[in-house]
Formats: sequence, structure tokens, C-alpha cells
Amino acid sequence: MLALLEAWLIAPFDYGFMQRAFVAGLALSLAAPPLGVFLMLRGMSLIGDAMSHAILPGVALGFLFAGFSLPIMSLGGVLSGLLVAVLAGSVSQMTGHREDSAMASFFLISLAAGVMLVSLGGSSVDLTHVLFGSILAVNSTSLLLIAAISSLIVVTLAVVFRALVVECLDPLFLRGQGVHGGLVHGVFLGLVVLNLTAGFQTLGTLMAVGLMMLPATTARFWSQRLEGLIGVAVAIAMVASTGGLLLSYHLSLPSGPSIILLAGAAYLLSALLGRHHSLRVRLQRRAAPLGAPEPH
Amino acid sequence: MSRLQLEDLQLARGGRTVLEHLDGSFQDGAVTALIGANGAGKSTLISAIMGMLRPVAGRVACQVSRERCAWLPQQLALDLTFPMSVEELIMTGTWPSHGALKGYCAAHYRRGREIMARLGISHLAHRQLGELSGGQRQRALLGRTLMQEAELLLLDEPFANVDIETVDVLMEVLRDMAREGATIIVVLHDMEQLSRLADDVLMLAGGHGRWVSPEALLERHTGLTPRAPRLPLTFPEPANAGTA
Repeated sequence: MLALLEAWLIAPFDYGFMQRAFVAGLALSLAAPPLGVFLMLRGMSLIGDAMSHAILPGVALGFLFAGFSLPIMSLGGVLSGLLVAVLAGSVSQMTGHREDSAMASFFLISLAAGVMLVSLGGSSVDLTHVLFGSILAVNSTSLLLIAAISSLIVVTLAVVFRALVVECLDPLFLRGQGVHGGLVHGVFLGLVVLNLTAGFQTLGTLMAVGLMMLPATTARFWSQRLEGLIGVAVAIAMVASTGGLLLSYHLSLPSGPSIILLAGAAYLLSALLGRHHSLRVRLQRRAAPLGAPEPH
Repeated sequence: MSRLQLEDLQLARGGRTVLEHLDGSFQDGAVTALIGANGAGKSTLISAIMGMLRPVAGRVACQVSRERCAWLPQQLALDLTFPMSVEELIMTGTWPSHGALKGYCAAHYRRGREIMARLGISHLAHRQLGELSGGQRQRALLGRTLMQEAELLLLDEPFANVDIETVDVLMEVLRDMAREGATIIVVLHDMEQLSRLADDVLMLAGGHGRWVSPEALLERHTGLTPRAPRLPLTFPEPANAGTA
């Protein structure tokens, strides 16, 4: 039994590429879910998706100029992601349209432009790689970059945490205190873009957002406190990324989709069985008599 | 000279002048009621006082530092589904001294507990905002401004959707704050509440402001019932209700 467990869980990590993929997955799992929790709480769950498309043209341009170099592609991704965020923000301010409609327009343009650029410069294999990534192909340089970006995100998030919380609840209070809410919002969106660029090597531009949002939406079924949400989301992301890697190793499945599907399975299970708002709770709920102790 | 003065103020929203030639000073250590019909410019004036709206002409002379200005919006403006407990909300009132980074120390937590006790919400300290009633939320929000040690406090219809008991508690706290020297401006609709709370009244109508004393205003309204119905309402007898 132990031998079987070892063969399943430990032995795969004898390989260097699996070790690097494991660490990359853990690093991303630490940085992405807290951002996802805030996106979800701000009612911006789909903005992550939009931003993941927005980084594509920059990644593609980096790829055209420098070939498959993660630092250059990441830089391109960050720049184009920020550009789209700023453009969408200014267009919505100028026209008075809601920001999500401007964002939707820009991310569709970005997606098309990115796919066009990659196709012009490379083969369909390259396109697949950029769109869907490959965590098993992470080399030491990429790993360092991913770890550095993840650390930067965690530290920055810790610094702006209180401002971010206050801004989510009551933006006017923060403005009254002389802090420009737009600044906090901008820093936060910047972190989202950074995280997506760190994630695209491992999961691809399209699926990087999965490790951000799915653990966050899953956590909603298990906790009602902010710290709880973040903790649960990080734990789910870590289990999903490690479990997904092992699944992809043993069953010869593509790694990115395995990780995200595992997180997706956690979401569905939680929706059925979770502690809060799940189907199980709904079915079991009976009105407690007055004076009964609270169920928390 | 009072801390907050309006000097020939002209305010506009979307290119349309809402208020003009607004003069006068708000008394320190007093509660001023801001009244007027919908669209008379109450919110516009509050935005200008908070420094969020630039006057077209004239100026708001405010000697209170920004951090000591507190603004209690109508509850609808807040995202109350955000996972935060009452105590955490009240602790965010330490922003002027603590900013984004400094940790809270025991003394501040103690002060937070005192504030909750004064507002009668000690038992709700760890309850999430989304689980509170309208009155409990309003107490928690006023708790934040107490923590902030606000010298200028603006409240937009603080007694809407709030139970009578909470109205009493809130009024008492506001009176205390005024007694301690705070300048308080409250948007009100209810004459009865106005008579209990206000020391001074700024009435906005037709693009102009008029300062009146509460007594003069109430005299004009004598005999009129307050606009909002007040509990306890009398209900028809069950027998009558059945046949109606």
C-alpha cells in the first residue's frame, strides 16, 4: 500500500521537470487566489478573464521578437495588459459607458490581435503553447521569474490590504481620507496582470485565470470571513495544482487543463456539499426555535 | 469664526447650476439640519463640502483637516455583502492615525469596544455586516465615525430604514458629539426628528439656501403631521380585517 502511494505521489517528483512544475504551481497557488477573492468580492469575477486575453498581444509580440523567452514575453504581457486596462478605463470615463463594456471590447480586440500575431510569426504548435501553456516545460529561469512575481504580489497585497478592503466596502470613506481610490484600484489591476503573466507559461494565457478564480469562488462555499476565504482558496489552489500535475503525469493528460479541471471539480463538489449556501445546506436548513444557540 | 463657511458658493452638476449665492457659516458644536425637496441640491452641497465637487464660483472655507471629516452616506451606497465584521468596520475608523499599514494596539481595540458599548452593539462585534438589520448597520457606521474622532460629520438621511430605538441612540450620540465640539450636518426629511435634533437649519429651494431657526420652521409647520408615519400604527380589529 505504502509502495503504491509512494509510486503515485512521491516518485514522479524524482524528475527535475516535475519538481520545477511542483514549485511553480505552489508559487502561483499562493499569489493567484487572494487576487481572485478580491475580484470576486468586487463583483469583477470576469475581469480576470478579460485581462487574460488582454496580455496576449504583448506576449505574442515578445514571442515574435525574442522567440520563446519567458522574461521578454512576460514583459510584453504586462505592458499590453496594463495598456488595455488604462485604455478601457479612459474610454469608459470619456464616453460615460460602463467599464465592463469597454473592457469587453478591448479584450476581444486583444485576443484577435494576439492570435493574428502568433500565427504570423510561428506555427500552430507555438500558438497552442502560448494559449494553453505547459507547466512541465518550466525551466530554472522561468521558475525564478514565477517565484519572484508571486513573492512581489504577496508582499504588495499585504501592503495595500487594508486600503483594498476599505475601498471595496466604502470607496468614499477612503477618498475622504485623502487616498485616491483609483490608485488602489490601479495597483490591484496591475497585480492581476502580473499574476496572469506569471501564470501563462504554466497554464497558458487562457487558463491562468482559472487558478485565480476557481479557488476563490469555491472558498465562498466554505467561509464567510475574508481571512477564511483567502486561506481556503490558497489551500484549494495548492491541492489542485499538485493533484493536477500528478494526474497529468500518470494518465498522460495535458497539465494545464488537469489542474483547472481539478479546481473545477472542487467547485462543483463544494456547491453541493459546502458549509455555506450549498445545496446540502439549503436542503437541511430548518428554522431553529427562538433562543436556540446560533449555528456558527 | 466657525470652522466651516460657505462664501458666495455656486455649484453645478452636469453643466446645470444647482445652487448659487450660498453664504453662511455652520455653527461649531451644533447640529445643522439640511432640508429641501428631492433634487434641491442637498447631496451636491455635501459633495462640495467634502471636497469632491469643485465649485463653479465662490468657495467652501473648511478648517477641519480631511481626515477629521466623516461622511455617512445612505446605506445603499455601501457594499454590505463584503465579508467584514462590525468590529473590523469600526476599527477602520482609525485610518487617520493608522493609515494602511500600522497595526492596531490593545488601546484601540479597547476604544472600539467602548464605542460598541455606547451604541449598544457589543453583542454584534463579530457579526458580519450582511447579517445586520438596517438599524444595527447604522449604529456600526456611526461607530466608525466615533473611532475617527470626526470634527466635521455629514450624514445623509441617517434615520431612514432605522428602528425607533436606534434613532434615539443615534440622536443621543450625535448630541454628545456636538456637545464635545463637532460640527454636524444632517440631511433630514422628518420634522419631528428635526425638532429633536437640530440647532440650526439650512433650507435649500429653488437654487438658493436660506438659514432659518428650527423654531421658526416648526412654527410654520405647526399642526401638520410629520411626513413619515411613525409606529405604533393602529391596526384594524381582526374582525373588521376579515370582512374588509
